[in-house]
Amino acid sequence: MELIERYIYAVTLKLHEKQRSEIEQELRGLIEDMLEDHLQGREATQKDVEEVLAALGEPGELADKYRGYKRYLIGPELFPLYLTVMKVVLASVGIAMLVVFCIEAFLDHTQVLHSFVDTLVTLISACFQAFAWVTIAFGFAEFAGGRKDLLRKQNAWKPADLPLLPDHRSQIKRSDPIASIVFTILFAVLLTFAIDMFGVWRFQSEGARSVVPFFNEAVFRSFLPYIIALLGLTLIKDSIKLITGKWTIKLLSFDLLITALHLVLALFMFSDTAIWNADFMAQMTQAGLTPIGSEEHQFVSEFWNFATANMLYIMALILVFGMVSPVIRMYRLKK
Amino acid sequence: MDIHETINGLIQELRRGTIIIGVLSQLTEPQYGYSLVSVLEQKGIAVDPGTLYPLLRRLEKQGLLESKWDTNESRPRKYYLISEDGAQVYMQLCQEWSAMKASLDSLIKGDDDHGAN
Repeated sequence: MELIERYIYAVTLKLHEKQRSEIEQELRGLIEDMLEDHLQGREATQKDVEEVLAALGEPGELADKYRGYKRYLIGPELFPLYLTVMKVVLASVGIAMLVVFCIEAFLDHTQVLHSFVDTLVTLISACFQAFAWVTIAFGFAEFAGGRKDLLRKQNAWKPADLPLLPDHRSQIKRSDPIASIVFTILFAVLLTFAIDMFGVWRFQSEGARSVVPFFNEAVFRSFLPYIIALLGLTLIKDSIKLITGKWTIKLLSFDLLITALHLVLALFMFSDTAIWNADFMAQMTQAGLTPIGSEEHQFVSEFWNFATANMLYIMALILVFGMVSPVIRMYRLKK
Repeated sequence: MDIHETINGLIQELRRGTIIIGVLSQLTEPQYGYSLVSVLEQKGIAVDPGTLYPLLRRLEKQGLLESKWDTNESRPRKYYLISEDGAQVYMQLCQEWSAMKASLDSLIKGDDDHGAN
């Protein structure tokens, strides 16, 4: 009667260990009783056993009834959001990798095949990573959410707990955080892997390309951890925007805080001109782009000096301007 | 969806709550799961063992039933018996059932000429 043991195993496998042995014994007794009833004194055949087990139903369903609830890694409530976030994250990773690949191929066509294979391998592993992290995060949310439901039941629900009707002034379009997530990831990838490509590009006739970089790579890299951390915060903000779908005072404060942090980082990065490529003008001249004495040299040099000296103010202006809209929104929400 | 499927689904839904009353009614004497299935079936209440066994465990956990393993017979069996709390719950459920039946009957029969018949 191996089938019976297999059936019992299949049911108890999905149950809590504490209940297992007793349910096992109970089930064995039940199946024997059912079989006896079915046989009416005959010898049991394989077919009889199969009929009895079929009558008892699918082991998974029986286990669900014993447990009293269904088990999910990500339950039906969270699943639609899980799919959306997964699509956005995987698409962002894909786009970022594609951009990096294009830049690499553009810079050096002799290695296109090699870098294509490289990109493919990195893409697959990056997608697996992204998939795993999103799934882990949602699995954790499901687990925590289950607990929260239990807590909520202890406090009686009141009509005042009802969520407010969506106000068009506080609604967030889904495309807004999605676009921001894509660009944030793209920006993070570019800054991490291709900072030397921010510069003036020079195309030579043989197909080789040279770049006169804007930044002093070593100095810039020393800021990279802070930049990545800040981009990470931005990703968290965008995820919250995507999930809640509406502006709240808290979310707006978080938004303002992140902008303020950008401002602080800009202050540290650009208050000193060390971050800029000190030899920029010399390299430009050497590359033959701005011969000394020419009008171009004059113009580019003036522009370069102005930009590097005033970048902090330019950034501050842009960031402060970016704070206007959330402040107005906050003011309206408070009313 | 097929109308018969719909009807079957609705009947099952109707039965679900009544099974508990049926089970509690029969457990003034200790019974094991399968004997309870046969007793209920004889009295016209068909219960799937796959539904009854988990239900018995749940009612025990809720304190409505008590249980004892009998290992003297050829196969060990878990016998269930209604508890004091269970008896009280049973009484309450019976009252509720009578009231519900009376109300529904009056709706169905339409004794104020507004019913479906």
